[in-house]
Amino acid sequence: MYFDNFTFHFDQGTPENELEKSLQREINLARNIQTSLLNGKTPKVEGGQVSGNSLPARLIGGDYYDFYPLVNGKIRIVIGDVMGKGIPAAMLMILTRGAFRSAAESTQGPGETLTAMNQAIYEDLRTLKSFVTLFCADWDPKSGTFTYANAGHHLPLCIRGKSNTIEELPKVKGIMVGGLPNQIYHEESIQLEDLDMVFFYTDGIIEAQNKEGELYQITRLKETLLQCKEKDVKEVEKAVIDTINHFTSGVPQKDDITMVLLKVFDSKADITSFNSPIF
Amino acid sequence: MELTIQSKQTGSTKTLKLKGILDISTSSIIEPYLEELDNVERLIFDFSELEFIDSTGIGSIMNAIYLSKEKNFKLIFNGVDEMTHQVFETVGLYHILEEIHKEDI
Repeated sequence: MYFDNFTFHFDQGTPENELEKSLQREINLARNIQTSLLNGKTPKVEGGQVSGNSLPARLIGGDYYDFYPLVNGKIRIVIGDVMGKGIPAAMLMILTRGAFRSAAESTQGPGETLTAMNQAIYEDLRTLKSFVTLFCADWDPKSGTFTYANAGHHLPLCIRGKSNTIEELPKVKGIMVGGLPNQIYHEESIQLEDLDMVFFYTDGIIEAQNKEGELYQITRLKETLLQCKEKDVKEVEKAVIDTINHFTSGVPQKDDITMVLLKVFDSKADITSFNSPIF
Repeated sequence: MELTIQSKQTGSTKTLKLKGILDISTSSIIEPYLEELDNVERLIFDFSELEFIDSTGIGSIMNAIYLSKEKNFKLIFNGVDEMTHQVFETVGLYHILEEIHKEDI
């Protein structure tokens, strides 16, 4: 390859170059597929706002989030982190997405969804010596109830809009998907009020590193969330990404970064009819 | 950043001391140590000098847990600091270690 001040010229014709170009094309196509599937249409939610964003550390990544509006007006939200990075993690992320979409349709609550997902992909994950951590929740805009179950993932943060406080959700135990067969995932519930916000995240956020090797950590995340709690979900997302970029100041991103936000505008929305699923 | 492993065998007890970072770039270093585990009754992971572990590193420890079932040895974690303990607790590693020898998996 050489550069003549105007254009990069690649040596043509050698089998190695052809193979490299072909691989590059395929990786770009894979990236497009993943980006399209991940950052699809965000559903509209009565009485609230949801949003998600994922920034892979490499061209493609192993983080995952999804929304699934249910017939009864609830919305099912999932966030996950597949072991590893890059193309292998991305392939398993697609497997996880399929399992979630299928389980969300046929299960009653987030605990059952995780149980069904573990049943569906446990054997594959064990064969591949991999696993995925997942957190799954149902939000009911009618009652304001937020019900959740956990499969080895970080618990989301709940920002209370009226009291200016931030807390981790009450603990609920559950192991990673792919760890053991026949798992029962227990559920917990909290009540969300007007202006409350739930922030789901993957460890790429709190483990982002600066030049000195320090981690961003949960304390910085909490500070950022409290500072921008009055903003809408997209602005909060941007604020979190901006503070991470400011903190890392050019140090390459090591892990995939993913966040999902749910903000409640009116926890007991007057909803008389629902259509499902709405995308 | 690197990972170095100090291996010591006393009788049927093997100790693997992990020093540095166990992540996607270093996890393959641990594999040969796990492959050569024969006639071992206890495997001790000494994490006292482990600085960081990511999901691929957790995957390596998971493999050791499954191997302990397959080759019938006891697996012990020593020197786990608070941060690593939290990670192991969150993903359910302790629970898997406890359950795997009970069940027909």
